[in-house]
Amino acid sequence: MNLSKKQILIYSGIILILAILPFLLGFGRSTMTMINTVVIYSIAALGFNILLGYAGQISLGHAAFMGLGAYVSAYITNTLPDMGGLEYILGILLAGIVPLAIGLILGLIALRLEGHYLAIATLGFGVTIQQVFKEWTGFTNGFSGMNAKAINLFGISLRSRESFYIFSLVILVLLSIFSYNLIRSKIGRGLIAMRDSEHAAQAMGISLFKYKLIAFSLSAFYAGIAGGLYIHLIRFVEPNQWGVELSLNLLAMVVIGGLASILGSVLGAAFITVIPEILKEIPLIGEIRNFSMILTGVALILVIMFIPHGLSRITYKIKPLVKKTRRNKKLEDQEVV
Amino acid sequence: MAIFFQNIMAGLETGSLYALAALGLVLIFRTSDVINFAQGEMAMFSTFVAFTLFDGLGLSYPLAVIGALIFALLFGFIVERIFIRPASDASLVSKMIITLGLIMIIGGLASAIFGIDSYYFRQAISADSIDAAGVVVQPNALFIIAITLVIMAGLFYMINKTKVGIAIRATAQNEKTARLMGIPVFKVYSMSWIIATILGAIAGILMAPTTNVSTTMMAEVHLKSFIAAVLGGFGSFHGPVIGGLIIGILDNLVGMYISLTWKTVIVYGLLIVTLIVKPTGIFGKTHRKKV
Repeated sequence: MNLSKKQILIYSGIILILAILPFLLGFGRSTMTMINTVVIYSIAALGFNILLGYAGQISLGHAAFMGLGAYVSAYITNTLPDMGGLEYILGILLAGIVPLAIGLILGLIALRLEGHYLAIATLGFGVTIQQVFKEWTGFTNGFSGMNAKAINLFGISLRSRESFYIFSLVILVLLSIFSYNLIRSKIGRGLIAMRDSEHAAQAMGISLFKYKLIAFSLSAFYAGIAGGLYIHLIRFVEPNQWGVELSLNLLAMVVIGGLASILGSVLGAAFITVIPEILKEIPLIGEIRNFSMILTGVALILVIMFIPHGLSRITYKIKPLVKKTRRNKKLEDQEVV
Repeated sequence: MAIFFQNIMAGLETGSLYALAALGLVLIFRTSDVINFAQGEMAMFSTFVAFTLFDGLGLSYPLAVIGALIFALLFGFIVERIFIRPASDASLVSKMIITLGLIMIIGGLASAIFGIDSYYFRQAISADSIDAAGVVVQPNALFIIAITLVIMAGLFYMINKTKVGIAIRATAQNEKTARLMGIPVFKVYSMSWIIATILGAIAGILMAPTTNVSTTMMAEVHLKSFIAAVLGGFGSFHGPVIGGLIIGILDNLVGMYISLTWKTVIVYGLLIVTLIVKPTGIFGKTHRKKV
């Protein structure tokens, strides 16, 4: 890692504070559920960010990968005998690996072509997989939905929202570190070169296809892990929640939070999850149906048009402005004198 | 055999609607380099306008349809002007993201204004069906096929023979050169968005009797129009039309002879096969990009 010791200290401090905060403030159960979903969506957004932020590819089927992860983990933990806690670890791991494998196959087909073909292929993939969720009742229990158990790791039950929060936060931190190191590895440098100029990267001997494929299947892995965690938090899934709306929300998280930024993924996930809850409380606006969806769309377009680096790097935009006005003030003062 | 032809007939009917929507997609993509993912939502909104004019204001059917088409004209113009044109220098990905944002805005607005219920909307022609040697033909189906053919013929005449068409083709080929030749490129963008929105609105209004008018009514047409565009090839104007008709017929035959529940999955498989075998589509040409 290239982080300085000071930075490591600061980041670990922030993570520790985040871990303790809910216990200090004593949130209610619904608030804790919301915080847990923020953590889970952060994981999915982290993966999506590798795909969109670095490889510059749009996927409209990541909700399907997430749903796949959820169903795989639920199916495994429901069918395997009690193994202490091993079955949950296996379930969540496979929840990531199965989407990774499917992403690899889909990517092999769609990524050979120009940018928009992946978007079209994944749009169809999302609809198709949702149809499979509805019809393959042996695996998913169809429309009636599927129940799952709370995670029980070697005698420690993660039934309470607080303990689940610590568990998912640990996974988020681990995956963030993985992302961070990945971007600073050979693969990461290839991805960054590709993002800055595809043609230049190609001329340097970077195989666009290979790196896009890595980015796509990794993002499917992240989405699957997020889905696997989600099912053990809510403990119930049904096919309708894995539609294109969720894929669009994931995309909005990454764009609004900040492309190619780990912090941005978390900020975006928080923005998309928390804003609708706040809007519901406001009297007049809360009654307009789907107001948060309209707002998300508007925010998405505004961010891509005016602050393409998203919320996480908005300070870079503001800082020069502040400095400029300060300097102007100084100049004005001098003139007065 | 009668059942077979019955399915072909039904396939031609839905296929022509897929073709109309796919043509809109390709028109926008070829001229302004944007994949319009919001096409389905825009068509849904226009259909709701037609329904509201017909059912809410009590206008006659033709008047309501004309009203909706005028709305679609303004709608396409406004969307292009406000959301797409300011980003005309942005990358392909940014433009795609903008149209994805439009899905959320338009979809959200539609459910906020019109509600989430589904409503029955009448057919364009409600005459008794004709029995032709065992094949039941609905006059409405014939009307849909005929009107699609007329629109296509008009559009192809315009693209191939008129000055406007030359401008569209020139912009599609190379925007910079087109501008140097004195073609008002932005007017071409505007026009292709207007035409595409109107095509979508027509597809939506004609689709409404089978799917009912609701916020999710265009989901299937939208996806199938994308598959049609890929199958026929994004590079040509007639490819998507034939792609749409093929998808429509195949859709019905698969539903009849193989499985109704797995229809969507099988038709999606066709997209994957196209991407493997001939990614440029049946009528697409491979073109090389220069650095």
